Amino acid sequence: MNSIDDQTRNLIFQAIDQTISPDDFDRLQDLLQSEPDVREAYLQAVSLSESLRECSEADAANRGTSAGTLKQSISEEQWTGPVANSIRISATRYAIAALLLFAVCSVSWWMGRFSSATSLNPTVNLGEVDSQGRNTYSDTPVAQSIGASSKQNSTQAIEQTIAGHATIRRLVDLRWTNTDASFREGDVLPSGEFMFESGIAEIDFFCGANLIVEGPASLEIESDWSVRLSSGRLRANVPPAARGFVVKAADTEIVDLGTEFVLDATGDRALVGVIDGEVKIRGGAHDGQHLFTEQQKWLGIAPDNELSARSRLNGLSTANELRVRRDDAAKLRFDRWAAEAGKIAKDDRLIAYYPISDLSPGKVVRDVTTRDNAYRVDGNVRGVESSTNARDGFVVGPVQWSLGRFGEPSVGLEFDRPGARVRTRIDRDFSAFTFSSWVRIDELDHLYNALFMADGYENGEPHWQIRNDGRLMFSVMVDDSQPVMVNNRFDNTKVADAGLHRVYFTPPVWDISKSGHWMHLVAVYDPAKRMVTQYADGKQVSSEDIQDRFYIDKLQIGASEIGNWGQPFRSSSWFAVRNLNGCIDELAIYDAALDADEVERLYDSGKPLGHH
Amino acid sequence: MNRSSDKNIEPKRKRGNGAQQAQAYELFVSLLARNEPSIRRFVRSLLPTAEGVDDVVQETALECWKKFDDFDPDIAASHSESQAVPVASSLTEHSSTKDNSGATRPSQASDAFVRWACVIARFKVLSWQRDQSRDRLRFRDEVVRSLADTAIDQLGRREQERDAIEKCLQELGHEERRLVLSVHFPGESVARIAAETGQQARRLYTQVNHLRRQLLQCINRRLAQEASI
Repeated sequence: MNSIDDQTRNLIFQAIDQTISPDDFDRLQDLLQSEPDVREAYLQAVSLSESLRECSEADAANRGTSAGTLKQSISEEQWTGPVANSIRISATRYAIAALLLFAVCSVSWWMGRFSSATSLNPTVNLGEVDSQGRNTYSDTPVAQSIGASSKQNSTQAIEQTIAGHATIRRLVDLRWTNTDASFREGDVLPSGEFMFESGIAEIDFFCGANLIVEGPASLEIESDWSVRLSSGRLRANVPPAARGFVVKAADTEIVDLGTEFVLDATGDRALVGVIDGEVKIRGGAHDGQHLFTEQQKWLGIAPDNELSARSRLNGLSTANELRVRRDDAAKLRFDRWAAEAGKIAKDDRLIAYYPISDLSPGKVVRDVTTRDNAYRVDGNVRGVESSTNARDGFVVGPVQWSLGRFGEPSVGLEFDRPGARVRTRIDRDFSAFTFSSWVRIDELDHLYNALFMADGYENGEPHWQIRNDGRLMFSVMVDDSQPVMVNNRFDNTKVADAGLHRVYFTPPVWDISKSGHWMHLVAVYDPAKRMVTQYADGKQVSSEDIQDRFYIDKLQIGASEIGNWGQPFRSSSWFAVRNLNGCIDELAIYDAALDADEVERLYDSGKPLGHH
Repeated sequence: MNRSSDKNIEPKRKRGNGAQQAQAYELFVSLLARNEPSIRRFVRSLLPTAEGVDDVVQETALECWKKFDDFDPDIAASHSESQAVPVASSLTEHSSTKDNSGATRPSQASDAFVRWACVIARFKVLSWQRDQSRDRLRFRDEVVRSLADTAIDQLGRREQERDAIEKCLQELGHEERRLVLSVHFPGESVARIAAETGQQARRLYTQVNHLRRQLLQCINRRLAQEASI
């Protein structure tokens, strides 16, 4: 198979996939007839395809039966108290993932597990009363590993896997050839081909090799240790741990022996130049040769005018230059946003506005709504407005001040430890809600992960959070006096729930592949239009009517938290763990239902690099 | 298939003695069952698509049973000069471990059977294609013959590859394995999955083809390693 050229190989795959054109099919037949190698390659490829079909069938069959036998009804949460706000020990996010034994093909092996909750695509029952998410899982197939104690299911060890060989460290002015297949900074890159029209990408391979690739470029990541550059220019920096890293170009492999080198590839020719260190050439005309510091060599077919081509190696960005350019670009976005934020703060529909991004570390997370606005509280100011704004947030516990979405110049608040929270108090009645925030989720550690949560969850108070399957949840308590009994799936007893309310879900907006991405999230609660609409990155992701039963137009917030859930009135020392393992760097709350255009404008004016 | 046609295809020579006939039938069934996947794969590799494979395999099986009297494992098998023994006894009286008697061993009989069946299958493919409408994609007869010759030579290698594939699949990452398996699920295709998941088909093809190449490289590497041990 190795001796077959790419074109022929693709013909073979196309024939097997039945996407081949009649002309190409003729060409393939000619080759099959005349070339024994092509015949062998074809037979091997068909055989592979058949084996994969068999494995795929066996896999599907096994998955069905295993899931069936392993399916058990276990509670999503363990209850030890009779009332709301008592203990909830959330099961790990893996409770809905299954550890399944697959017998694929004829041989059994541990196929691993579903990589994330979202890939399981649980059929969630969104109907009827939702008890703050507690009973929304009632139709979800819940599986756990054999032998795990059903009560201690949260301890099951199920390892998560994702496919990839490298991550993107920085992107500057990058335009992907195919915008559907675009990646952002911090993303994990799987094997396969990556093409961009212009700009520069800095890629860290897992082995430690660092590549700076200038567009237009087309490269194919083959493994942690190997990449093919079909076209474009790159600078490779290979630390000792990554010695042996291979860059393929033209008909040749460049084996890096701990060095820095530059490469300029166009189709069947490439120019390699060693900046510092040593590389070894494998294959092609210079097979076996070594190149040392400041040596250059043409690989493949050398051009007629070598000298002019050589100059192409000059001016390739270094990692430092790239960092500077990227930081400059980020600063531009930050400045643009800061100007916008000043305007946003004057919007008199604002309840509270925490830009966060421009904060300096301290205890206070400033609400920057104008003082006029703060005092014009429908003439009915509860409590005393002192010289400090009551709506300022206060940092409690191990909140980390980390980089915000604009990198260096900006600040974000990280809530990755259970005690971390920002508390505030917003007393007043409202007629609608819009929550708008820039959020970076590193991991959905808990069953429910807090964005903004009212403490007591009393009538008219909001809960905005994200479930461990990546679905956003927005809810408002409708009647906390109504005892709502729900079936505890854990031991099938009836337990009291927090009261009558409804959770409005979105489809999953997050999975582990988006770990570290900054996202703009918006929830709009509009009693006037009887509609709850939610957005991610400026785009609507869900919209649902408010049914009569769940209608409430007198809204409040009261004491509440950003990035966690405080339950000061709970009757035991246990508390639900809902801190957000991630970062928040802007939060605006409006006493109004923003429309789609306004949401998009908020997104546009606040988006960091990497968002188009 | 009705009873009368059953009778028509019974090999005449083996019908004389009821016990012998039963024994031959049992042998045939066991050989067929054991080798059906190889025969199927052989047939599949001569047809441009999976369509027709079932028909051809079935016709091949019937034809093999009709001609089972003519099947001589020693001639078909290894071109060895070993003394001819009745097929049935070769399976029942000798263990499959190495024996020094020179008699045909079960694995040899089995190898012989699959080669023999593949020769029959080749004819069946050609005649099946002739019966099909002209407008569909099909290999020219010469191509079928060349492919068949190569494929028969490589029957053993295909077997080894199938073992290697399982190991190579394990070497892939979880998501990669899922992807490459899901596009090969019957009724699925890269285009369909691309449409469902909202990806660009071209990009998905690139990914899948990359994984296929990776698997093929892995298979070849593994077989080369085994050969060198």
